Amino acid sequence: MTTGDRIDEFLRARSDRDPFREHEVKELLRGLGLSVPKGMFISRGTKILSVAGLSFPLVAKVVSSRIASKSDIGGVRLGIGNGDELQKAVSELSRMEHAEGVLVEEMARPGFEVIVGGIVDNSFGPIVMFGPGGLFVELFRDVSFALAPVDRQQAIWLMKETKGEKILKGFRGQPPLDVCALTHVIVMVSEVIASGQFRTIDLNPVILYPSGTLVLDAKMSRI
Amino acid sequence: MAELDSLFSPTRVALIGAAASEEKLGGIVLKNLLGLKGEVYPVNPNYAELMGRTAYRSIGDLPCPVDLSIIMRPAAEVPGILHQHAGKVRFALIVSAGFAEVGAWELQEEIKHIGREAGIRLIGPNCLGVYNPRHGLDTMFLPHALLKKPGKGNVAIVSQSGALVVCLLEAVRQANMGVSKVINYGNAVDLDAADVYEYLAEDRETRVVISYLESVGNGRRFIEAARNLDNTKPLLVLKAGKGAGGQKAACSHTGRLAGSYEVFRSILRQFRIQEAIDYESLLDGAKALSLQRPASGKRVCVITNGGGSGVLAADECGRAGLELPPLPEAVVERLIVSFPSFYAIANPIDLTGQVRAEDYRVALDAVREAYDGFIVIALTAVSGVTLAVAEMVHDFSMATGKPVVAHVAQGGISRKLARLMEKGKIPVYPSPERAVRALAMLLHGRGDETR
Repeated sequence: MTTGDRIDEFLRARSDRDPFREHEVKELLRGLGLSVPKGMFISRGTKILSVAGLSFPLVAKVVSSRIASKSDIGGVRLGIGNGDELQKAVSELSRMEHAEGVLVEEMARPGFEVIVGGIVDNSFGPIVMFGPGGLFVELFRDVSFALAPVDRQQAIWLMKETKGEKILKGFRGQPPLDVCALTHVIVMVSEVIASGQFRTIDLNPVILYPSGTLVLDAKMSRI
Repeated sequence: MAELDSLFSPTRVALIGAAASEEKLGGIVLKNLLGLKGEVYPVNPNYAELMGRTAYRSIGDLPCPVDLSIIMRPAAEVPGILHQHAGKVRFALIVSAGFAEVGAWELQEEIKHIGREAGIRLIGPNCLGVYNPRHGLDTMFLPHALLKKPGKGNVAIVSQSGALVVCLLEAVRQANMGVSKVINYGNAVDLDAADVYEYLAEDRETRVVISYLESVGNGRRFIEAARNLDNTKPLLVLKAGKGAGGQKAACSHTGRLAGSYEVFRSILRQFRIQEAIDYESLLDGAKALSLQRPASGKRVCVITNGGGSGVLAADECGRAGLELPPLPEAVVERLIVSFPSFYAIANPIDLTGQVRAEDYRVALDAVREAYDGFIVIALTAVSGVTLAVAEMVHDFSMATGKPVVAHVAQGGISRKLARLMEKGKIPVYPSPERAVRALAMLLHGRGDETR
């Protein structure tokens, strides 16, 4: 299946929702070959019977298409170590206003965080964006943009345009990070936004390891 | 014949709103148009004759169709006037203000529609229009007494802003440059930068294009036209509106970070189109690219007769992405023999205050093969620097075809030396840093993969 086919299928299954819910976006990303944490979605009101297949520590996040920033309202619980803690977190989160359910995921190992996003610019149309590290982006606006879609070569160029790119190559004795996998993430995000079906896509953060990447949070809204 | 030939070199021009004297804008433009290599038809129902030309009641009364009509009537009258243009005019240049820039979007949409229906290309509204010294065409309502425009040359100016086009015209003339085609297209209801870029790519009189932009309508079309143009001749873009931060898509992080300038700058870089960071570097780049051919590489040699100026140049090289590799062994050996022991034989080469004019020639000859570009610094307050230096640098530039720029410091013969150098096609700048930035634009990474 091509990227376009997967996007069409995704949209057919969710004709009425905008923005999309996190676990749905992650499903699409997984279909596009991106790594996302292992997890399960628990609809509001359902009891967790087991977390079979998931290993502690876990993360629980409130899921809602109406909440813009989960962490700002205390909608994310990190480092859940056992079943009791999980039950408590899930029941608290599902009682939050607008909660549609809770997404439980395996907690990611720490790594280097980057942002990959796409928007439709008023003048240039679909644009893909890369920014290394939350701090670099927030404090120094160290981001770069390109007309979407981009190929692998242009995706590498997009990384090189930022100052933080030096860290990807292994800064001060750190091992080099998996630039190849990140390239795939950028290419896919650029294809998603260039499909013309979405207004924005935000993968923030994407964690980068010496081997592999993991999309920790993902948002997407319809055109 | 390219479509815009009739705009830049019209044989018949009508002026709607022509006036009898230069106390009115319609009189200034009429006076400026009298130099046209072609026919001028003033239109004003109150006169039978204006500045010696037969005047007409309306565009409908003209004896023949015209290439270009210049409209200088209040905004509210423009739709009616445009209706009368159908079948008689190819280009209508609307000088009148009072459209989208003051919120009158509907009126602007109306004229756009009329232009489309009638098959007339529109320039403006709210613009100064075009200047083409080779054809004697000047539609700008700026009296000659107040603004001396540059003469014929190879620099094209494409500006969205009228104010900037006025400043650029003045500055280009003062920098001893001339222009090929100049246009200020204002609100861009129809014709915009992309159209002009397409035309200039084919224009033989244009060697370098400098362009001031605030917005680009269709960004993808703009980029395509800019790329095509840049493939044939250098394009330097100055984008204003840098402060405009992220706005749309409040829930999107990417949207918040995507200020219009950040996006624009990135995309220019994606397609390797050169951006001038400010007004000064737009002009400095224009001068360099108007006098010399761009080349590839980033290995630079600085030849100075003052240590401090050389250091400043070297510092700026680092910031501009240029390299200052040390002199090759053979060059050092050669120069040690030729020069007194107190000259600094390194890169920069410091010929010191005891320099003799001839030393510049010796130094240049020694380093010519080892570098891609050269910066010659002449502090004229010492007796050794003479006008002969200009000829040496010119000869070197001709012989090598490699980019050479100069910084001539204030003092002594500096004005004469600078003028002589520029006659010899060596761009001269009043500071070491500006000379370096200009050289960087000449060496704009053709061959540099990070460009």
